[in-house]
Amino acid sequence: MKYELVSGFETHIELQTKTKIFCGCTTQFGGEPNTHCCPVCIGLPGTLPVLNREVVRYAIKAGLAVHGEIAEVAKMDRKNYCYPDLSKAYQISQLYAPLIIGGYVELSNGRRIRLHHIHIEEDAGKLIHRHGDTYVDYNRGGVPLIEIVSEPDIRSIDEAKEYVEKLQQVMRSIGVSDCKMQEGSMRCDVNISVRPEGSDKFGTRTEIKNMNSITNIAKAMEYEYDRQVDLIESGGKVVQETLRYDDASGTTSSMRSKEDAHDYRYFRDPDLVTINISREEVEELRAQLPELPAEKCKRYIDELGIPEKDAQLLTKYRRISEYFDEAIDGVKSPKTVSNFIIGQIFRRVETENDKEAFDVATTPAQLNELVKLLDSGKIRNNLAKATLEKMLDSGKGVLEFISESDMGGMDENALLELCKAAVEGNPKAVEDFRNGKEKAIKALVGNVMKNSRGKADAQAAEAKIKELIG
Amino acid sequence: MGTIAKIHEMLVNKQVSCEELTKSYLSEIEKANPELNAYVCVTPEAALKTAQAVDKKIAAGEEIGSLEGVPMTLKDNMSTKGIETTCCSKILSGYKPIFDATVWETLKSQNAVLLGKTNMDEFAMGSSCENSCFGGAANPFNTNHVAGGSSGGVSSAVGGNIAAYGLGSDTGGSIRQPASFCGVVGLKPTYGAVSRYGLIAYASSLDQIGPITKSVEDASLVFDAIAGKDKRDSTSVGGGNTYATLDNDIKGMKIGIAREYLDGVRDDVKEAVLAAAEVYKSLGAEIVYFDLPILKFALPVYYIIACAEASSNLGRYDGIRYGYKTAHYTGTHDMICRTRSEGFGEEVKRRILLGTYVLSAGYYDAYYKKAQNLRGTIISAFNKAFEQCDVILAPTVPMTAFEKGHATSDPIETYLTDICTVPVNIAGLPGVSVPCGFNAKGMPIGMQLIGKSFGEAQILNAAYKYQQAAPDKFIDTKWGVKL
Amino acid sequence: MVTREDVENIALLSKLFVPEEELDGLTKSMQEIIDFADAINNAPASDEGFDCINNLSNVFREDEVVSSYPSTEILKNAPEQAEDHFLVRNRE
Ligand SMILES: [Mg+2]
Ligand SMILES: [Zn+2]
Repeated sequence: MKYELVSGFETHIELQTKTKIFCGCTTQFGGEPNTHCCPVCIGLPGTLPVLNREVVRYAIKAGLAVHGEIAEVAKMDRKNYCYPDLSKAYQISQLYAPLIIGGYVELSNGRRIRLHHIHIEEDAGKLIHRHGDTYVDYNRGGVPLIEIVSEPDIRSIDEAKEYVEKLQQVMRSIGVSDCKMQEGSMRCDVNISVRPEGSDKFGTRTEIKNMNSITNIAKAMEYEYDRQVDLIESGGKVVQETLRYDDASGTTSSMRSKEDAHDYRYFRDPDLVTINISREEVEELRAQLPELPAEKCKRYIDELGIPEKDAQLLTKYRRISEYFDEAIDGVKSPKTVSNFIIGQIFRRVETENDKEAFDVATTPAQLNELVKLLDSGKIRNNLAKATLEKMLDSGKGVLEFISESDMGGMDENALLELCKAAVEGNPKAVEDFRNGKEKAIKALVGNVMKNSRGKADAQAAEAKIKELIG
Repeated sequence: MGTIAKIHEMLVNKQVSCEELTKSYLSEIEKANPELNAYVCVTPEAALKTAQAVDKKIAAGEEIGSLEGVPMTLKDNMSTKGIETTCCSKILSGYKPIFDATVWETLKSQNAVLLGKTNMDEFAMGSSCENSCFGGAANPFNTNHVAGGSSGGVSSAVGGNIAAYGLGSDTGGSIRQPASFCGVVGLKPTYGAVSRYGLIAYASSLDQIGPITKSVEDASLVFDAIAGKDKRDSTSVGGGNTYATLDNDIKGMKIGIAREYLDGVRDDVKEAVLAAAEVYKSLGAEIVYFDLPILKFALPVYYIIACAEASSNLGRYDGIRYGYKTAHYTGTHDMICRTRSEGFGEEVKRRILLGTYVLSAGYYDAYYKKAQNLRGTIISAFNKAFEQCDVILAPTVPMTAFEKGHATSDPIETYLTDICTVPVNIAGLPGVSVPCGFNAKGMPIGMQLIGKSFGEAQILNAAYKYQQAAPDKFIDTKWGVKL
Repeated sequence: MVTREDVENIALLSKLFVPEEELDGLTKSMQEIIDFADAINNAPASDEGFDCINNLSNVFREDEVVSSYPSTEILKNAPEQAEDHFLVRNRE
């Protein structure tokens, strides 16, 4: 029997506000242990939370970016569970009245992964286990998170990967999070079940907790899919449980123990008041949103003539598309700019992190200058490519490497003079061409190339000569 | 020694220096506290340091505030930087907060002289003060009787004249009930009038800090000082400004009596309250009787909501960041369970379990959600009642202070002690307990004046007029002096 | 009906140990308290609802950094600490 994978994601994303969700401590990553802490975020008795306004605004932006509906009334709830990384033994989160309801992420195959809701909550601290002892650092405790809960709409590992990438792209583009999975600012809980192909019933699902790389998500899903199919094929039953993925062995294992019988006993947090969101504020935030990656990608394809694959690459990282947007200002062919970025610059920003930062020596303005020279025919493609490498090495502008005289041969008038000279100096070849000997023109072009010391564009020269004698 | 007003006068007139006054309080504490067990921690050094600073100001001819230099106390659930704050629980033993509760920050900035921290039922859960890990506080009128709870230590200290005033907290009656038992005035402000920041939570939606004092004007003075909006407490609104209207004429004021409040109330208490109603009549107020049938559900609603919130609030005591940690364990889970089982007392554990139960899957709707709905119903019933009257008069407690050891046998019987006080907490209203007589055995009786939301000025005005009309009800205690 | 299993379960959720010999007694006393709480089921049905006292809304702080506490203060009350961390040893 063939089996279909059914998966839903719970994605936690740390918001890039300056301060934590309920206190004024910084959200900066790292820092010496327990130095980004105060009585509130270590949950000292008697302390009370006060909600950071910016967290609500960031979450609304995130909601708008994935087509969610912004609630008019939202409330904070307590999720009770006792664990050393949770200083109050409850996480302030949202269950009964989350900020954002619904929404979707559209994949390149046209399928929409529907979102159930998005809520805001606080992050927990960090535990370090050493020789069985536990060291607790609350620097991360209270960092604001949004949790994006999808419907079980994902049907393949490729869709899962694309879903996560798309979320990353969108959240980065609107500036609410850097979504660095390796630093934990984006983490996924992956729900997986399998069912016979064609069935419309859901199988029993398992949940793989805290995945922090797309590669691992793919590997874990593959493993878990195989495990569940094998289990069913051999007459067994999938048990609903929480799993942990072990990177080293590439396997999942149960996290369940007698100690964590979970019943979160959610209830409205009496320390926090109701959040009312006016439609004016929603519209104000909507107006602040930049063009979203999906819209941008479509525009690159439709209006700028960029091939789809390239448009996707350009819009995957906010900095890259911003770079591209700046570099194409006034150029004839945006595709040329795209080719330079994808063909040459990308070789220098190999990792995800590098692409995210997109910290290259050549500024968009410098690339723009180079492409304009190419546009005007002043330099040829080979020279432009070689020059860009030098520019990327040095951070210097195009004029540092190409002199006026280098470009002289390319000047329209100079080219015309050279062509005229070739026609006048080779009457035989002209005669042959006029008599239908197509190849004769090569001699004339060769003459122009020789006299320009290789700087002229052969095609341009041929066109000019044909104009003169045709 | 005496009321705040009197002490202020004595300080300003240089009849006594603040240092002498503080010293005499400290020596009285030394004498009386072994019997009263009101204080669980005394802070003489800090008290004397503040007193000296106040004396310097007076000597320099500077004006001093009404609370400046007045020796006082705080219930041991209010965070005091560097001073042990335990909620009278073993689980917080040794805990010294690194920040001040807003109320203490406010009073400290006004040079209040903190004598020490006072006894309470563990985590404010109780009505006798006997659930304290330090043993209960005694009633200054008869030390074989309880001081009441949970703010029993403050009431015992104020009634016993070893503090001029104190701050208590009231979740289901914990200011008013012990005030009533100890013959003093106790004000539970409107929810949101006083910041809860730094008050160690029992039930967050019910807890409120308020003054316990010898006289109504003292309660007004202290309330005005501590009321205010605090940006660290999202639920705080502010309030105050009651002193100016204390002496307003109450002619025509409608004083309501809900019949349900008199059900099951002991005769001596009922008589004293009804006698007070007569006093009000003589002052020109109008007495209005009405029914408030929903009140009979207030007690279960209170216990469901309070325990649910408590079970969550008390989850954090795990032996990792502060307080008690078990000595022997294997693994983290075992450590946390042992710490909590050894650190919490029986009543606290009982309430945590009940709270966990009513919030757990399958029971949330039947208990917690239903109780929240009823909370809404109770609030609107009070709103309706206040269409007929300006303040409500009721007993504070259906009885007078009981003997020590009486309360512990049956939890539900003990819960019934709170029957007259919890409705005010559920509805978030202000209530003040005022002494209104003594029973045959000489134990004080308290009456309660309940006001509209943020109507503290009105109930204190009514209370003050009563105090003026019946000063004999506010009289000597064993260690006391006349007002 | 409050069962022994209910009490065991809520004790586990509450992170409290209930010694085997106390389980029956506790179950009984929990049942009594629950019976008492059950009185609310006799209350008239209402859809009054309750949001929060004083119906407050939109109380926020601005996103402005306030200095954190030094880790020595943060760790001051910790029963055990090591290397600027709160420490939970595996066993005593
Ligand atoms: Mg979550
Ligand atoms: Zn903090």
